[in-house]
Amino acid sequence: MTKEGHCYMGALDGKVAVVTGSGRGIGRGIALLYAAEGAKVIVNDPGVAVDGSGHDEGPAAQVVNEIKEAGGEATANFDSVAEFTGGENIIRQAVDAYGRIDILVNPAGILRDRMVFNMTHQEWDDVIAVHLKGHFNTIKPASVLMRQQRYGRIINFSSSSGLIGNTGQANYGAAKAGIGGMTRVLARDLGRYGVTVNSISPGAATRMTQSVPDAARELRSQAGISSLSSEQVSPFTRREAEDVAPMAVYLASDDAWNINGEIFYVNGGHVGITSHPIAQKTVFKEGHWEMSELDDAVHNVLLKNKPNPAPPRDDVELPGRDVPGKPLN
Amino acid sequence: MATPLEGRTIVVTGSGRGIGSEVAKLAGKLGANVIVNDPGVNLDGTGSDEGPAAVIAQEINDNGGIAAANFDTVATEEGGENMIRQAVDTFGRIDGVIHVAGILRDRMIFNMTEEEWDEVISVHLTGYFNVVKPASVLMRQQRFGRIVGFSSGSGLRGQTGQANYGAAKTGISGMTRVLARDLGRYGITSNVIAPGAATRMTASIPDAAQSLRAQQGIQVQDRRESGVTSLRAPSYVAPMVCYLMTDQAWDVNGQVFNVSGGQVGLSHEIYDFRQLNKAGRWTYEELRDLVPAQLMQGLRNPAPPPDDLDLPGRPVTD
Repeated sequence: MTKEGHCYMGALDGKVAVVTGSGRGIGRGIALLYAAEGAKVIVNDPGVAVDGSGHDEGPAAQVVNEIKEAGGEATANFDSVAEFTGGENIIRQAVDAYGRIDILVNPAGILRDRMVFNMTHQEWDDVIAVHLKGHFNTIKPASVLMRQQRYGRIINFSSSSGLIGNTGQANYGAAKAGIGGMTRVLARDLGRYGVTVNSISPGAATRMTQSVPDAARELRSQAGISSLSSEQVSPFTRREAEDVAPMAVYLASDDAWNINGEIFYVNGGHVGITSHPIAQKTVFKEGHWEMSELDDAVHNVLLKNKPNPAPPRDDVELPGRDVPGKPLN
Repeated sequence: MATPLEGRTIVVTGSGRGIGSEVAKLAGKLGANVIVNDPGVNLDGTGSDEGPAAVIAQEINDNGGIAAANFDTVATEEGGENMIRQAVDTFGRIDGVIHVAGILRDRMIFNMTEEEWDEVISVHLTGYFNVVKPASVLMRQQRFGRIVGFSSGSGLRGQTGQANYGAAKTGISGMTRVLARDLGRYGITSNVIAPGAATRMTASIPDAAQSLRAQQGIQVQDRRESGVTSLRAPSYVAPMVCYLMTDQAWDVNGQVFNVSGGQVGLSHEIYDFRQLNKAGRWTYEELRDLVPAQLMQGLRNPAPPPDDLDLPGRPVTD
């Protein structure tokens, strides 16, 4: 494409990209930057509310307009990634409109937070369907084509909620951790065909993170955990939705041909590569362990200096703590 | 033998065979009332057979333990509720849930059907929710409970042809980190076991895959001849699972333990071990220069493209 009349070689010139959920937030930032870097973009977004309800073609259409006004190429798509046919339609539209699919980016997501003992099956199913199966629904048809053309980039979206754990998000945490694991498998399924699969675990202030209820913020501040007020945000603590996009461009570029199967934390000006889930400490016994041996090994070796992330309240009468438990051996 | 689990009621899903049956038997030996759940399906989830669960429950009862068989599937909401209800109806309470049940439908992603995806996710991951949800309601009320989910070493690391299984197994560990935080304050612990064991499930890795690996120079010992199988017997996984059920493990919460043979390992929390930081938004050009040099040093592509593939971006060598 041309920028200010000069011939500009963008990092993604000539590539065809699908960005799910790109009517708003992080997805929107990626769609805009992809187009600016020369990609033809399918802007997918059914325009649902944060909880997945409703339908609005406005957000995707508006992003397409923005791209076109800036001289880029884009087409809107309003299918839901939660349906297998929706995923197929999205990929088919890329092929129909632009002749191929090079890059698939999967930021689409919803939230239905609830403590697990109150979570309904509907809340579980809806979140798993959009996030986890939504990744499968777009990746499956895209992977068939990418394998045939021996080229492709798949960028998934995980979250520290799943990788570390966040109260009230059993559904979201399961889906987001699952996406991380799925990414490692897909890297191994597709790497030999010139396709890379990586995951971004983003941090950004978006419509989704704003939905963390005020009650939760208040509880946290009572516990001495404060979130930054807007005046406290420094250049190092910024977390704008558009900050995630440059890393998504880099991973999609030809330069990143050999980066495969990794999960990157990206928020504001921070980019980190995450560890793989290996054992950090191991105890070994030749033979079967006894209960009392495990009690010793777990407390004095494996979990030494590791806190319980949510310790029981002091006034809960708990066998093993204040009440003697039954003897182990 | 001491009976540290006496008076505790524990549901073990998928305990008609393999690791589950060893966990159920040891829990019974340690004094627990055990619901031995297993619909007796084939490895791919088809069929049903009440035999496996009935046999294990009988074996526990014959050895002086207390057990009842259950044949529901974890893959449905009703199935999960039925198991927990049977524990309460039979033994008056529910103290522990151990979700071992699992099936395999391996396929490369580009050939995987929607059905193969759905069935693996619904048994492993949604199955975990199906039993944990009703149990957590009761455990929270009684201010005591133990939850153990089963992940997998290969699921966590990533293994070819297992997009569904890998997603489900890492999903279980991520969900457990959330459960630990939702339930810890109520005296409930939630942990994960990532087992390695020679069972019906691991025996299903096709010979073709084994010989492919051998061609690539990846040494594959014949486990039957090497004696490794006996060191990876599923009975080795049971003690750690049962320990997590004991009163003494009241403060062990939100952890992932790798258990195989006589080894018990504590898995790393995921963290970013190398970082780039900038006061402001990065540009593509900056990342192009810094990511390979600073983040990717020494890390390798787990499935690199073959040398004869014409690949844009790869430096051309003669």
